[in-house]
Amino acid sequence: MSPARGNKYMTASPATRVLGVVAVAAALLMALLGLIVSPADVVQGQAVRMLYLHVPSIWIAYGAFVLTAVSSALFLIRSRRREDSGRHHDRLAGAAAEVGVVFAGITLVTGMLWGRVTWGTYWQWDARLTTTVLLFVTYLGYLALRRLPADPMIRGRRSAVMALISIINVPIVHFSVDWWRTLHQKASLSVGRRPEITGEMYWTLLYSTLAVTIVASWLIVHRYRVIRLEELRDEEALNALIASRLREDE
Amino acid sequence: MDLSPRHDIGEPGELRRKVHRGRRWAVLGITAVLIGAGAFVTAQGLRNATLFFRNVDEAVEQRVELGDRRFRLQGRVIPSSVRSESGVTTFQIVHDCAVASVRHVADPPELFSAPWIPVVLEGGWMFGQVRTFAGTDTHYFLSDRMLVKHTNEYASVNEQRVSEKAPDGFLDDCPFEVPAAKS
Repeated sequence: MSPARGNKYMTASPATRVLGVVAVAAALLMALLGLIVSPADVVQGQAVRMLYLHVPSIWIAYGAFVLTAVSSALFLIRSRRREDSGRHHDRLAGAAAEVGVVFAGITLVTGMLWGRVTWGTYWQWDARLTTTVLLFVTYLGYLALRRLPADPMIRGRRSAVMALISIINVPIVHFSVDWWRTLHQKASLSVGRRPEITGEMYWTLLYSTLAVTIVASWLIVHRYRVIRLEELRDEEALNALIASRLREDE
Repeated sequence: MDLSPRHDIGEPGELRRKVHRGRRWAVLGITAVLIGAGAFVTAQGLRNATLFFRNVDEAVEQRVELGDRRFRLQGRVIPSSVRSESGVTTFQIVHDCAVASVRHVADPPELFSAPWIPVVLEGGWMFGQVRTFAGTDTHYFLSDRMLVKHTNEYASVNEQRVSEKAPDGFLDDCPFEVPAAKS
């Protein structure tokens, strides 16, 4: 996941520039389909358009948190064997968690706006909403833990353990609408069940998921490289300090 | 090589203790805030989330133990029963063939007008003789807050019309008939 050679201080590479252009185009097409092409819902009217951002956002947040957990597990395994060998996984875990938190936040905000129009309220402490806000707060905590000053390997291990604990909430959020009575409706798309959404609305939702996935991938790559640059900056600052002290001692 | 700072900061051991103390307070502070946030959210969740509402049949069955307690009641609105007068909306809701008469004393949300829409009402049982499609009842539900619990079904306005008919199979086993709404 390194930028092109010769661009040590940049986060872009030719491949990610292409990915960026594709991400912007995909997002624009998603807006066109979601806001203009897809029809209004027979009951909810125009409010249904919130679906095309709300649902893909939480799916991407789930995916990002799973990536954080897998990378954290790999970091814990590899960092035992050799110093620094698992840093790549730690960076990936951090980058994915940041993007996951952004999309979990988008889910909460769009959900509140959608809820005001359909339910008649911005917020209710039902099982789905409660577990989702808990997920958001937990990963904010994870990001805060990553910012605490400590040796990178020790900080990585602490964060990895927290990531592996936090992932438990993802299936709880997803299945909360089946396990408990909630104001939030059940899933419209589930594996092995007939979709409860038809025609252009179904295809717009699937396309929106693809578009949001491309945008999230682009963000994760860049955040990964920014984290790497932050580490480089710290290393170079330390090297410069050592060099200046050596000069003073000569 | 000595990389310790040149200015006077006291003994190295003291510095280490200061740094560790500062770090420890930061960790403790963040942990306390997170535990507090988690506990608050969990408390809210346990209080409200596990039994967010009672369906009409359960609320009718538990009427004696519920007494005048405030709770949430869920059921589908029978379109032909909806009347509105002087800021009070009266209607009947049904779930699993149990019917409750409702007096709602606040503005209903916009989607309330959709036929057979599921709603969650906040309020309590009140004593009073009422007639419902299922017969006579000794209580009605007085509500001051309504949440529309829309379903997970989405259909294009171009392909489907709003139907006044009950959802498939919803009233099949019920020993009463529901008249069609006047359009």
